[in-house]
Amino acid sequence: MKTFEEKWTAWLDDQLSGRELSEFEASLPDKAAAQAEKAEAKKLGELLKRELSAHPLKNEEFFSHQLRERIVQESGEQRRERARRSPTSSWWTIPRLLWAGTASLAVFLICTVFVMHQERPAEESQYLTQILNARVDPVVSPNATVSIFEVKQDRVTVLWTEGLQTLPADYAAK
Amino acid sequence: MHRSLAVVISVLLLTMTAAPASQAAETVWSGLVMAENVTQPQPIPSELTRIEGLLKRFFGYNEFQVIGQSQKTLKTGQEDWLATSKFFGLHVDARGETQGGYVLNLKLYKEKELLLETEAKLSKRSPLVIKGPQVGGGQLLLVLVVQ
Repeated sequence: MKTFEEKWTAWLDDQLSGRELSEFEASLPDKAAAQAEKAEAKKLGELLKRELSAHPLKNEEFFSHQLRERIVQESGEQRRERARRSPTSSWWTIPRLLWAGTASLAVFLICTVFVMHQERPAEESQYLTQILNARVDPVVSPNATVSIFEVKQDRVTVLWTEGLQTLPADYAAK
Repeated sequence: MHRSLAVVISVLLLTMTAAPASQAAETVWSGLVMAENVTQPQPIPSELTRIEGLLKRFFGYNEFQVIGQSQKTLKTGQEDWLATSKFFGLHVDARGETQGGYVLNLKLYKEKELLLETEAKLSKRSPLVIKGPQVGGGQLLLVLVVQ
């Protein structure tokens, strides 16, 4: 047994027919007002159907839509590719680390060379001639001795011998 | 990328090695010097000007005359040479270059008789003076200077 509301909805949708239709229309208190309401409901239905349905794409819109989808797809692929190449993506990539290392090494070497050039004269100024060993022929000069003096003031090293054989003045000849 | 790195490293290495390589060959002056006290001393030879004060102060003579000398330009640091006077001979045998100087073996001969032998590391900035035998009223000195 249908309720009034069910029959009203079916009537608005033209779903009633025959005896059921004539009985329902006879039960309406104001048939003219009901017909007007039915017409309004139909109009509203058509309006909603027209506005809410997906309207077909035109050629230009279809092309733009395809293009946008392609761009979105490719952007996604690029992001995935980048993520695949550098799983922990950060500023310190391997090439940048290499460059940073090389630059640091270059700065270190330049500083080292600079400092060495600065210090070299000071080191050499203290660098005196060294006597590694000295010996006098014991047969010719049996009592001879050897001493070493480093005269830092003049930066001269002196090997001092004593007791060498004395020679006549003739030996001073050129 | 790798090529750029290689270029940078090569330039650095060249810069580091260029300075030592650019050092020129040096000359060693070896002299047999007679030191004496005279009333009218002659001017000191130019080779000894640098150490004139030390020679006068240390040995107590007022005149220094070169009686034999030799100038040798060292290229390999393995050269040998002789500075001679009429009776003396100084044989110098360079036995390699070290940092800041040369290792030299020195032998002083009186005619053919070996009087003294020594080995020294001669610094490029520090002359070597050796007191030789007494000759008459004077003194024989051996002087080596890197010029």
